[in-house]
Amino acid sequence: MQCKDVELVLEHEGLEPLPEEARAHLAECRECRNYIADLTSLVDAAKKLPAEITPPDRVWIALRAQLEEEGIIKVPAEVLPVEQSSWWQSINAFFSNRVLATAMVGILIAAAAVFQIRSDRTAPVVSPDRVAGTGTSIPAAKTAGAELAELSVPQTSGEFDRTARDLSEQEPVATGMIVASRSPIDASLRDNLKKVNEFIAECERHLKEQPQDELTREYLSAAYQQKAELLSAMIERGRSIN
Amino acid sequence: MCLRTMGTLPARPDSWVKRSLLPVLSAGLFLWSAAPAHAAGTGQRIEKQFSITGRPVVVIHNVANGRIEVKSWKNSQVDVVGTQNSNKIGFEIEQVGDRIDVTATILEPGADLLDLQANLQLTVPEETELQLKTETGLIYVEQVMGDMKLESYAGDVHLKEVSGYIIVKTTGGSLVCTQCAGKLDFSSIGGSAQILQPQLNNVNLMTTTGNILFDGDFVRTGLYSMKSGKGLVEVRFSSTDSFDLKAQTATGIVDNQAAAFLKPDSHGVKHIASKFTHGLFGTVGMGLAKVELSSYSGTIRIMKRD
Repeated sequence: MQCKDVELVLEHEGLEPLPEEARAHLAECRECRNYIADLTSLVDAAKKLPAEITPPDRVWIALRAQLEEEGIIKVPAEVLPVEQSSWWQSINAFFSNRVLATAMVGILIAAAAVFQIRSDRTAPVVSPDRVAGTGTSIPAAKTAGAELAELSVPQTSGEFDRTARDLSEQEPVATGMIVASRSPIDASLRDNLKKVNEFIAECERHLKEQPQDELTREYLSAAYQQKAELLSAMIERGRSIN
Repeated sequence: MCLRTMGTLPARPDSWVKRSLLPVLSAGLFLWSAAPAHAAGTGQRIEKQFSITGRPVVVIHNVANGRIEVKSWKNSQVDVVGTQNSNKIGFEIEQVGDRIDVTATILEPGADLLDLQANLQLTVPEETELQLKTETGLIYVEQVMGDMKLESYAGDVHLKEVSGYIIVKTTGGSLVCTQCAGKLDFSSIGGSAQILQPQLNNVNLMTTTGNILFDGDFVRTGLYSMKSGKGLVEVRFSSTDSFDLKAQTATGIVDNQAAAFLKPDSHGVKHIASKFTHGLFGTVGMGLAKVELSSYSGTIRIMKRD
């Protein structure tokens, strides 16, 4: 029996009782013994954990905020009658059941994955010349910060369309709020916005040529997220200095 | 040779001494009288101590420019020292239970940058949770155990001998993490990350244009992900490490300087690289930890230490 066979045995049958062959291998293989020792200590530690841990409220609040922020859940527009439990209590009650919560998260992930795959398949490939021709639309009241907006990304196709459009709308607002500032912090924010815009543009160009490149897609997605956070930081900063 | 004969000294030494000393003494007297007034007007210091009963949570929001330094001691107290260059910044320090909130706010937004500098120096119990947010200026944390979230726009973050779940977010600031343990999440646009002599078992580093350096051991069963959009991702491991490595880049290069130590995957898993990326898969030792390196257009460098 080889090391990988022992791993298979452990995977299928658990820690004990180990078959004779596996025990014979262990007697000769120090690495496998260490491996089993690690597993045993993990199992022991897991057994010492309390059966149920009720997470503090802040965990649920943070989780909910994150789900809302990502647009996975939305606050219901209608107000429920007073005598009924509130939406938050319902969510809380729903999520207090660990199995249901896990199932819910699983469903959300699966739905997101299906959506992603479908978007990939249906996303039309836009030719580079068309991309070059599509600039960011900037409001008529062009602020001095719009110079940065002009550097912003060409409009994209597929799953990033809406994100790109939303961010393009926010960008002149955010840059306009700190445009008059000579503070090095604001200069740094503007500089980093330029960097992220250039990077997004680079990824976009690459994706036009190779739409199936998942790695570039991941980087593009992360860059959009960073840009969103940066614009939010600029707006927050703009409010504080104004 | 006598100086007087050279005409260097006046003929009457006594009167020369009086005449020479007078302006010096006057100037000294003026500076002496002016100096304390200047210090009182511009340099201000505030110090407060808070007793705590359990594990404290310290929250700092420093909107001014300046440094935040956090060190630990054995006492069950949190000591806060704030210094500022002018009275154009106000400190608000508040304790609620074991939570201490420190906020430095700008009272005169149009003031000169130098006047808007406020440094904070904290001494906390070893086990303390930190939430620090600043705009610029260094965040320095040493020998603190506990979860921490450190955010900065333009300032760097230096951590030494800290442990816990560490989250660092910067816009342009860089991270230097020396002898850190636990879990580390770093994200930045322009900032770089240096992880030196770590004991981290879960690492997520992401920067758009910055560089990443990981110089240290990979803990067995640890998970390590390091991504840079355009920068260099460099990993220096030791021959006793045990990890599976996946390195991939879209348009950059993989500079594998440790080919002799990387062998095909020991778990028998067949990796199929995407045709759009280039990279490598390999195993060092038993492959107990999992290391993923990626860069969009930068260089990934894999090296063995010593």
